[in-house]
Amino acid sequence: MKAKYFVVPAVAALALAGCGGSTGNTSSSGGGSQAAGAPTDDSKCADKDVFCVGLVTDTGKVDDKSFNQSAHEGAKKAAENVKGYYKYIETQDAKDYAANMKKFTDKKYDVVVTVGFLMTDATAAAAAGAPDTKFIGVDQGYDATKVTAKNVTGLIFPEDQAGYGAGYLAGLLTKTNKLGQVLGLEIPPVQKFAKGFEAGAKAANPKVTVTTVYHPAGDNAFADPVWGAQQAKTQLTQGADIIFGAGGNTGNGALQEVAKDSGAGKDKFCIGVDTDQWDTVPAAQKCLVTSAMKLISLGVTDLVTKAKDADFGGLQTMGKAGLAPYHDFDSVVPADVKTKVADIVKQMEAGTLQTGVTL
Amino acid sequence: MTDLTKESAAPASPPPAKPEDKPSGGALAFLFSHQSGIVIAVALLVALAIGAILIRYQGVSPFYAYETLVKEALFVDGGLERTLVKTAPLILTGLAVVLPLRVGLFNIGGQGQLNLGAIAGAWLGYLFGGWGPLGAVIGMAAGIVAGAAVAAIAGALKAWRGVHEVISTIMLNSISVGITWWLVQGPLQAESAKVSHIPQTEEIPEAARVGSIVGIPVSFLIAVALAALCWWVLGRTTLGFKFDTVGKNKHAAVYAGVPLNKIIVLSMVFGGGLAGLAGALEAQGTLHRFEPAITGSLGFDGITIALLARINPVATIPAAFLVGVLRTGAGGLQFATGIAPEIVDLLLALTLLMVSIPVLGKWIFRSRADKVQASATSWGN
Amino acid sequence: MSWITKNKTTVGAFVGVMIAAYLFYFISGVKATSMFAYAWAYAIPLVLAAMVGVIGERSGVVNIGIEGQMLVSAFGAFFAAAYSGSLLVGILVGMGCGLILGGFLAWTSVKWRMDQIIAGVVLNIVATGITSFYYKPGQQLPGLMPTWDVPILSKIPLLGPVFFSGVGVFATAAILATLAIHFALFYTRWGLRTRSVGEYPSAADTAGINVERLRLINVTLAGILAGMAGAYLSMDGSSSFERGMTAGRGFLALAIMIMGAWRPLRAGAAALLFGFISAIGNQLQADKIITVAPQLVGTLPYIMTLVVLAVAAGKVRAPGAVGQPFVKGDK
Repeated sequence: MKAKYFVVPAVAALALAGCGGSTGNTSSSGGGSQAAGAPTDDSKCADKDVFCVGLVTDTGKVDDKSFNQSAHEGAKKAAENVKGYYKYIETQDAKDYAANMKKFTDKKYDVVVTVGFLMTDATAAAAAGAPDTKFIGVDQGYDATKVTAKNVTGLIFPEDQAGYGAGYLAGLLTKTNKLGQVLGLEIPPVQKFAKGFEAGAKAANPKVTVTTVYHPAGDNAFADPVWGAQQAKTQLTQGADIIFGAGGNTGNGALQEVAKDSGAGKDKFCIGVDTDQWDTVPAAQKCLVTSAMKLISLGVTDLVTKAKDADFGGLQTMGKAGLAPYHDFDSVVPADVKTKVADIVKQMEAGTLQTGVTL
Repeated sequence: MTDLTKESAAPASPPPAKPEDKPSGGALAFLFSHQSGIVIAVALLVALAIGAILIRYQGVSPFYAYETLVKEALFVDGGLERTLVKTAPLILTGLAVVLPLRVGLFNIGGQGQLNLGAIAGAWLGYLFGGWGPLGAVIGMAAGIVAGAAVAAIAGALKAWRGVHEVISTIMLNSISVGITWWLVQGPLQAESAKVSHIPQTEEIPEAARVGSIVGIPVSFLIAVALAALCWWVLGRTTLGFKFDTVGKNKHAAVYAGVPLNKIIVLSMVFGGGLAGLAGALEAQGTLHRFEPAITGSLGFDGITIALLARINPVATIPAAFLVGVLRTGAGGLQFATGIAPEIVDLLLALTLLMVSIPVLGKWIFRSRADKVQASATSWGN
Repeated sequence: MSWITKNKTTVGAFVGVMIAAYLFYFISGVKATSMFAYAWAYAIPLVLAAMVGVIGERSGVVNIGIEGQMLVSAFGAFFAAAYSGSLLVGILVGMGCGLILGGFLAWTSVKWRMDQIIAGVVLNIVATGITSFYYKPGQQLPGLMPTWDVPILSKIPLLGPVFFSGVGVFATAAILATLAIHFALFYTRWGLRTRSVGEYPSAADTAGINVERLRLINVTLAGILAGMAGAYLSMDGSSSFERGMTAGRGFLALAIMIMGAWRPLRAGAAALLFGFISAIGNQLQADKIITVAPQLVGTLPYIMTLVVLAVAAGKVRAPGAVGQPFVKGDK
């Protein structure tokens, strides 16, 4: 009788844990990953020949389908390419940034990638305190008057250009002259995408109107796909035929909702953000004409690889932004539209066209 | 509340032991002299055992994982101080739940009270930063006032309009979070951050920050002192007696001439003030400014802590310390083993589950299950 | 006719709302349709979850763990559907998760007489811990939830497109559950017993009703509805599971239950009102009519709840024995 009572809660907890059949085993037993011939742990990171890469997220997860994940994939790939060792920590508490970075610097990691503008100050401080380690701050713009360390660079992106290109495309494609934007939190990277999109759309088609909604609640603004889907539906009903979903999983909810529409891929389209969402959100493929990308993975991979042998070029590194391939919509988008958009993108890259976006 | 003591007829929470006990000794005396201490210990062991299975299932040795957790939180250089920094707000948010719960009110609004307290503390701490330590005190006071004000709304709605505090505090949480985000992205945003649009307030000047004294965070000292004060107020003063009287039997309290509404509002105001102070200390003591990420789930953790502490104010200290250890160790655990830091939330949830389920206590002490205590919270009253 | 004279306020309010809605519709058809459609989509999980609360509290058990039930169900439904490749399996697993957690809550609070609110809070914390730790990225649903148009009814202006076209499983379930529970609660023997158990358990006990058993069964079975609310979020309202995706909807449902005075139909109406207020907030932002910060607009539904509760308090009354464990032999 005793034993029975004792066991019940334990069994219940385990049963709940199994609820939903999520029994898929984790393939890797740790955050570490190794390519063949690469070091299997970080005990020898201090050695000159052993290259170690660490990554610290802001209070997000490396599977967030957004910037943390992109940076994580980029860093991991770089470590594999150069036969280095890679490991990450997912920060849960903003007060732990410094402590988590210190874990890596204590072990003499060669490169530490920190992700997100929230970590700007903490990264600069850590770089000053650990001159042997090189720091890459994704989405971090440093104050050049205060940050003098040479072992740190902030990887930033012209999000407004990516947004502008996507908006330009949308402005040319729209039949109803109505576009919608479903956005996460009103923070710099999202705002730059959104304002770029609006400017691009207006440049391509002055008659266009752009409806913009930001998620109102702060704490789950990037993780509320239900809200995103409902906004997208409302905008579709009100006549918008192309929806730009930019805001982590909230934006993904919007993309998936457009894909559910009966006109998806025919006269209703959606545009993704950050990465080529053709790959990250397969459920949106029915409507996903392109994505306004900021190539975080590529930027991180390049910088990490560069850091192995050389110094960073400067306090800030400008990453690439652009449009994802059209994939299945290559035949749907008219040839002249494609030419015009490609031209605009080229002009922005060359610096002859300014998006005019200021925050 | 749960089966607090073996004797079902015992008061909501065991009266703090003998008068000659010091508050600090009181915690230990409480734990050792009461069976609930044993229940908690067993609950913790069971939770850790289940946790061990889950960790094993992730392909990591549970012993190594637990060893890492503890080592990272206590023995690594600077680890203990970080743990204490994390413990401090948890004690306070725990107390923010404990005090109203003694009256029978369940304050789930700690998160909102903490948020507003944090931004108020950060802002006034910055404004009066030139005044040095006095500025720090003003910041703390602002935090207390902000937190208390939010809680007062819930208390007043409960006292005069009969709106259940669980609902009103949940609503106020969402409202407070909205207001804080608006403030930190609008009126109170730092000048430097207005260019980059980063949601953060101005930095508090060095002199007005809350730091550490010989490795012990000031915030922790304040929290411990307040826990002792709450213990004293609840156990030794008329006010505390009134709190418990209302909590045990509202009607009897009214007959005895206790001003019911006043006590209800007061308990909420005290609770909210403590949560607000927790927020202010967080802002002043850690990042020296307000950023939304600073508040994490501290307010909600208060519920866990209050229940782990079985609504004894002094017992919130070890309970908060436990949570602090787990949260501090989580990063190091992932570094060493790759286990996602959410394992810590899972462990806490399991511990809370084991502690709360009355059957555990019944099984250990074979007490009779029939006449169980009246409910602690006051839904529908 | 006598029914109308007896329910003047209800009928009056209903007629008033309909007139206002159609006025709005004739001024701006597209906006009215889209906003009401949004309100209904917003309301679906809330209605289902509010019914869980209604059944629980009418039987005398507070269920503050709806949020956790929904979260685990959303999790279970999504991953079961993704791994099994069957939407039906997903829905069933979602309902099953809700049922199991309902059973957990019932057992701890009724059988073990744990404080009901604390039991619910513990449930929520456990649910959050489990779902965030065991979350796996990169899964997707095997297909779209089927929808259909109700013949004839879907042609009604405004009401047709909002309620009767593109109808899904969960929307249907929400409407049917509300109607069925309203009927069952007020016109069947089960309803009478449930209400008596919630109002005055010792009298019910004297009358030969097994109070504990009825509470156990009701709270457990109501979990199915919470399961559906959760499954809606990850399978219909969106097509993915995310950590913490319930975003407080389970708590909002409790507020709606109180605003609905513990009556299913009124709770349904309150949920729609909530949805509409949220729609207004978004529309204000989208149309740039007035530039209020979205963070503040987002708090509108919560402020409204507080105001309504403060005003309505005293007029509505919770079931008498809600929150109190029943001990046979106690007075």
